[in-house]
Amino acid sequence: MKQLVIDFQKCDAGRNCNHECEMECAVRVFKVDDPKQAALQIKAYEDGGGHAVLCDQCGDCVVVCPTEALKRNKLGVVMIDKKVCVGCYMCIGFCEKEAFMRNSDWLTPHKCTSCGVCVKVCPHGALSIVDVPEPPVRII
Amino acid sequence: MSQLVFDPSKVMDIDYTKRTEYLDGLEAIKAAHKVLKEITYTPSLPDKGYTNRSLYVNVDTLEITEKPVTQQMKDVFIGGRGFGLWHLWNAVKPATRWNDPENEIVISPGPVAGMTQYAGTGKSLVVSLSPQTDIPIDSNVGGFYGPLLKFSGFDALELQGKSDKDIILFIDGQKGLIRIEEAPTDPVDSHVLAEVLTHMYAENEADLPNISVVSTGAAAEHSLIGMLNFSFYDRRRKCVRFKQAGRGGIGTVFRDKKIRALVIRGPKVAGDMNHPADPETIAKTGIKYHKEIRENDGSQCMMRRNGTAHIVEIMDAYDLLPVHNFQFGSHPDTHKIDSAYWQSRCTQHTVDGCWYGCSMACAKGADGLVLKTGPYKGDMVTVDGPEYENAAGLGSNCGIFDPDYLLELNFYCDTYGICTITYGTLCAFVMECYQRGILNKERTGGLEMVWGNAEASLEMMHQMARGEGFGKLAGQGVKKLKERFIQNAWGDPQLITDIGMENKGLEYSQYLSKESLAQQGGYALTNKGPQHDEAWVIFMDMVNKQLPTFEDKAEALYYFPLFRTWFGLNGFCKLPWNDVAPKNNSSQPEAHKIPEHVQNYVDLFSATTGIQIDKEELIHQSAKVYNFQRVFNIRMGKGLRLHDAAPYRSMGPVTKEEYESRAERYDKQIVEEMGLDPVGKTTEEKMALHREWRTGRFSKLMDSVYTRRGWTLDGVPTLERLKELGLDVFPEVVEVVKQHL
Amino acid sequence: MITVNEEPLAWHEGMTVREVLTAKNYRFPMLIIHVDDALIQKQDYGTATIPDGAVVKVIHLISGG
Repeated sequence: MKQLVIDFQKCDAGRNCNHECEMECAVRVFKVDDPKQAALQIKAYEDGGGHAVLCDQCGDCVVVCPTEALKRNKLGVVMIDKKVCVGCYMCIGFCEKEAFMRNSDWLTPHKCTSCGVCVKVCPHGALSIVDVPEPPVRII
Repeated sequence: MSQLVFDPSKVMDIDYTKRTEYLDGLEAIKAAHKVLKEITYTPSLPDKGYTNRSLYVNVDTLEITEKPVTQQMKDVFIGGRGFGLWHLWNAVKPATRWNDPENEIVISPGPVAGMTQYAGTGKSLVVSLSPQTDIPIDSNVGGFYGPLLKFSGFDALELQGKSDKDIILFIDGQKGLIRIEEAPTDPVDSHVLAEVLTHMYAENEADLPNISVVSTGAAAEHSLIGMLNFSFYDRRRKCVRFKQAGRGGIGTVFRDKKIRALVIRGPKVAGDMNHPADPETIAKTGIKYHKEIRENDGSQCMMRRNGTAHIVEIMDAYDLLPVHNFQFGSHPDTHKIDSAYWQSRCTQHTVDGCWYGCSMACAKGADGLVLKTGPYKGDMVTVDGPEYENAAGLGSNCGIFDPDYLLELNFYCDTYGICTITYGTLCAFVMECYQRGILNKERTGGLEMVWGNAEASLEMMHQMARGEGFGKLAGQGVKKLKERFIQNAWGDPQLITDIGMENKGLEYSQYLSKESLAQQGGYALTNKGPQHDEAWVIFMDMVNKQLPTFEDKAEALYYFPLFRTWFGLNGFCKLPWNDVAPKNNSSQPEAHKIPEHVQNYVDLFSATTGIQIDKEELIHQSAKVYNFQRVFNIRMGKGLRLHDAAPYRSMGPVTKEEYESRAERYDKQIVEEMGLDPVGKTTEEKMALHREWRTGRFSKLMDSVYTRRGWTLDGVPTLERLKELGLDVFPEVVEVVKQHL
Repeated sequence: MITVNEEPLAWHEGMTVREVLTAKNYRFPMLIIHVDDALIQKQDYGTATIPDGAVVKVIHLISGG
């Protein structure tokens, strides 16, 4: 499955960049001019380094979705079908990485779909899309 | 103490998509349908939780009308059970009985129902005059019918009249039409009927989840204990499943009206259809709760794995699991039907919620059961994974500890349309009567009703469905069986009265209340009869010793029935309130009330309706409806102190075996509670001492509870109490009460 | 001797909260436990020891359906 990964050897958690990845995601994918709505969020730790909130396509949300609105596509990426989603937000509550997000203006939740638009704009080349095996389905 | 740990490797490998299909006859059944009446209407979505209209259907005259939901209805009755009681009050007279045409079945989901962001928000409340109690019964049920009814444009559905032919009421909330159809050749039992109708009324596969069917089965027709199945389409299993409006015989009323089914085709559900005043608060509260379930359920109740059956072994450990008709509280074979077993038997890797957004997901399913008896022998079916009540009632209370038989009993109760709790308690009573010689093979027509005889229990149920033999008699329920056995002089009338576990005509649910005086009141001092929907205070009282005085017990029997009534006014399920607790709950004041969850409910109501309430107002809202229901009971000739009397089996040891099995406990109570010396006394003498002490304190409890509730010592709400609650605006309510003051 | 939910229970040196639960057969998972008014967290049941004469309160929440 396609998975977005971030290399914190290269990413400096936004200290010397303009969060281009977040902005690109917000504008290109979600058509909003607000990096807080991006499907990946880079957070800096106070004492150096950082971490990223992003979906690793683990599939836990597919298991809990009551409407089968969440499914893996051909590339193994978990996609949401907004027409089927009933906005219950169980996917958000059950995501251990807190990578399923909600915009108050939208009824359906959203997350990273490994599309890679962020990869191209990272000034440090810290982001990449990798192909990894799908994890087994977990009982949640 | 050992916390059960979930082990996925122990889950049985059963294909949850496989089962017997019943769609062969669909086209012929459909062709036989005849439209008796069809009207069009304008569907609408709720505004702040209310559509502001209800639907009235008379199945005799075929009248179909809309009625406005008034501001007064919303202010006083909120919705759900409140609306049901109000409509029923207006429909019936004091002399009306369950099978009179003016009796109604009212289904109302409540203003919050249909919310998809919080757990347990898809409930409907069903209200009718009960064939078992002759007073209003209310039953809280999941499934999709209620929310889809509201999203089709109605806060409530009133069904009145009696048809002379089998009919189906179809509401199409997508197209805006309502149709009454004659249904002459439809299947009778729910698991077949609902599958056929779901596929008949869905326009394509994607439409299946928009259909919900309310139905019952063959046994509802021949007994007084019929229930209603509310369906929901399980997308992963690709099957129609049910939740039950079980208590009090509403399924019997349904068939008496010759209603075969109610079918609704609602609009495709989305997250904002309830049009709440403050969606942001609802979203945040819901997400917070889902997270709490994810983090805590696995180390707390494991509702997602076991459903309510998680307490089978716990009740056994605390001597509270009903065994052999509530004689004993534990049994060496309980491990055969405990939650470790159900966890392996119920399918685990699928979604089990009876409405969208239920992260508690207790509606487990046991797939791949091949039936051994009855008309569906050999069929492979999916069974509602036994809830605690079913495992205890159909199982331990009857001495049955074979899980496959237990599932089969559960399946047939469901598809035949009878209440598992009621059936469990009545079967246990029949078995005890058999064991004690009150019944014998001749009197039961050959059924050997000995403890643990699952095949005999099943045969009694099949007879109930066929309307023959002893099963037909048993279907009258414990109260009428007691009367019959006494009338026939089949045994000691006192013993028969003592061991028949009913109050007001309704059978007890499955907890042993002998050692908790507060729970004896929690069962008997209820509006509709003994169930645990109002109050479950055994741990508080018996184990925690939090309720040492009569006043403490009365306070618990004031607060909890009102708090829990509120769920039924709004379309909430009770389970998400207290089957998980926030991590910091233990350090909160009044932790046993789960204060954070109470606040969630306050917030969800306020955010839905735009009416800001607090936790005190929540109780006040319930108190209006609760007291109205009490007055309704009085209006129907019941509802007084004498009708709250409890069978002695619920209070103490009726028989020598019961006493001697717990002799140490009972002897100690003679010393400590009565200040007497048990030495040298016979068991009979000691039992008599207990009886005097236990019935005496129950009577004192009644005094305390009535006083706390603002009732007279005869159980009648005082005029001051009615004024406090604003119920004095209804002259008829005041009139009913005045006659008893 | 200690008191657990108003009832006496034999005490021994080093007695833990978990041992009390086992002795009383308190198997319910949703408990709130206080030893002499101090709240004991679930993760400490195995290690928190109880002094002689302590008053132990084991509050069971409500559950089931």
